[in-house]
Amino acid sequence: MDLSIKTNSLVGLLGPNGAGKTTTIKLLSTLLLPDEGTATVNGFDVSRQANEVRSCIGVVTGGERGLYWRLTGRENLLFFARLYGVREDMARPRIDELLKLFELDDRADDNVEKYSRGMKQRLHLIRGLVHDPPILLLDEPTLGLDPNSAVVVREFIKEKLQRNQGKTILLTTHYMEEADQLCDKIAIIDHGKVIANDTPGELKTGLRKTDVLRINATGVPSSLSSDLKQVEGVEEVKMSVIDPVTGLTELLVHTRDAEESLPQLTELMVKSGVRIRLIEQSKPSLEDVFINLTGRRLRD
Amino acid sequence: MRLEHEWLTFKGVILRHFKEFVSYRASVLATIIWPLPLLALNVYQYLGLASEQQVGQILSSKYGISSFSGMIILGTVVYLLYNRMLWGTGASLQEERFNGTIEALLLTPANRMTILLASGFSSLLEGAWWIVGVFLLSWIIFGVQPAVSDWGAVIVALLSTMIALVAVGVFFASFFVLTRAADQLATSLQAPIRYASGVAFPVAALPVVFQLLAYILPVTYGIEALRSTVVQQGTLAGLVWVLGPLYIFTFVLIVTGHFVLRRVEAQAKRTGSLYKI
Repeated sequence: MDLSIKTNSLVGLLGPNGAGKTTTIKLLSTLLLPDEGTATVNGFDVSRQANEVRSCIGVVTGGERGLYWRLTGRENLLFFARLYGVREDMARPRIDELLKLFELDDRADDNVEKYSRGMKQRLHLIRGLVHDPPILLLDEPTLGLDPNSAVVVREFIKEKLQRNQGKTILLTTHYMEEADQLCDKIAIIDHGKVIANDTPGELKTGLRKTDVLRINATGVPSSLSSDLKQVEGVEEVKMSVIDPVTGLTELLVHTRDAEESLPQLTELMVKSGVRIRLIEQSKPSLEDVFINLTGRRLRD
Repeated sequence: MRLEHEWLTFKGVILRHFKEFVSYRASVLATIIWPLPLLALNVYQYLGLASEQQVGQILSSKYGISSFSGMIILGTVVYLLYNRMLWGTGASLQEERFNGTIEALLLTPANRMTILLASGFSSLLEGAWWIVGVFLLSWIIFGVQPAVSDWGAVIVALLSTMIALVAVGVFFASFFVLTRAADQLATSLQAPIRYASGVAFPVAALPVVFQLLAYILPVTYGIEALRSTVVQQGTLAGLVWVLGPLYIFTFVLIVTGHFVLRRVEAQAKRTGSLYKI
């Protein structure tokens, strides 16, 4: 993997499950050592200068763990501030400010065990910011949040953290829209390798050289993909089963001219006994880029 | 700057442990109640066989021990604190893992040894009731009169024992984190230490082989130091032979714990897992 992230940029790390996203975050946050090669954060080597790296990063992981449930939200934050070496006279006002910003101030003195999942996630985020690090590693920061909370968190990441405070952010997410909306650049990784690294716009433009037809159908024979490729103008066909029970399958047909290819494609499918449920010509989304590069959906 | 960070870490861990401790009322109650039957058990296993005077005479003539109740109470206090270390500090990293907080802890630049030492002192603070409470009870119930000739020696003996017990906790913590069976290990280490360190009887009463075993346990030295200064009018000068080995053990346990902890963390970074056993 070869990846560099500029100061004050917000980079998304996308990849299917097992691609190495969390491993990358763990490696950059000094929880894992690289088998080979090097990684530096803020100029510090993750293997040899682990403490310097830890001091300048804030790591936010998704989920409900990582907090002390018998302590209040404020006590949790003070505890971690102390562990980061932040003096109390500096930590307390910062914690108050962050609690207010994330709308947790009215519940700050309740034990964490009484928090909803969304509140715990917001507390995770504050914990990652409590020592005001210049670099943030956010591993699925909106995982499990309700849509409203997710919007608040996304706005905060983009507006406050990146634009106003100039933080450098590496973010992993399963939500394509989130990556599209937030990231200056997106690195798509698969099997531990960066297979694309560009702005969301450029990644999509790269795919727009061809038209994309999205076809949902049942009764799709396995040979259909190769049959469709024989149609003039068709450059690529990706097939994935959406519903194994009904056999509902999605076909993404990349063709030079959708209008020209469509009649032949439908005729061929009908002859093969395929029952077509939906045909639409889609503009390439980040999801299409992802599928085109990895052959899998993000959630696979 | 670094020293301030160490202090903040130390303070943070102690405050967190205290809040967690008092938030479990059942745990507080157990801490108060648990020592009492143990103390009674240790006393009445003698009194079931002979009167207090008779037991006292035997112990005095055979082992030079002047106070039967004092011997048992001091042994019990040190044993209780040892247990607190075993289950508190010893299992602290393992507990962080079960609670899912160990990763968040390891992500901070805080000194791991400071975290463990603070955990040890938290356990001592939580167990402080045992020292005060058990002494008070022993005066009230068993009429134990301390025979102190050098209060300085008592304080040195007590502090040295406490620091040694913290070292024991740090040592266990660094090993317990390697296994999913830390609870079972802690349980299995209770009875042998209680037996071999002479909690409720003089170590001299043990067979020679076990006496040798007793003197490789820091708990034994802690008990001896307190018995000597609190009920046998021991002085600081007379403590040298007890405190010397105690300090050596403290140093060895801390250094070993530190070394093992570093190895454990390095291994976890390489393999992604702490478990070895």
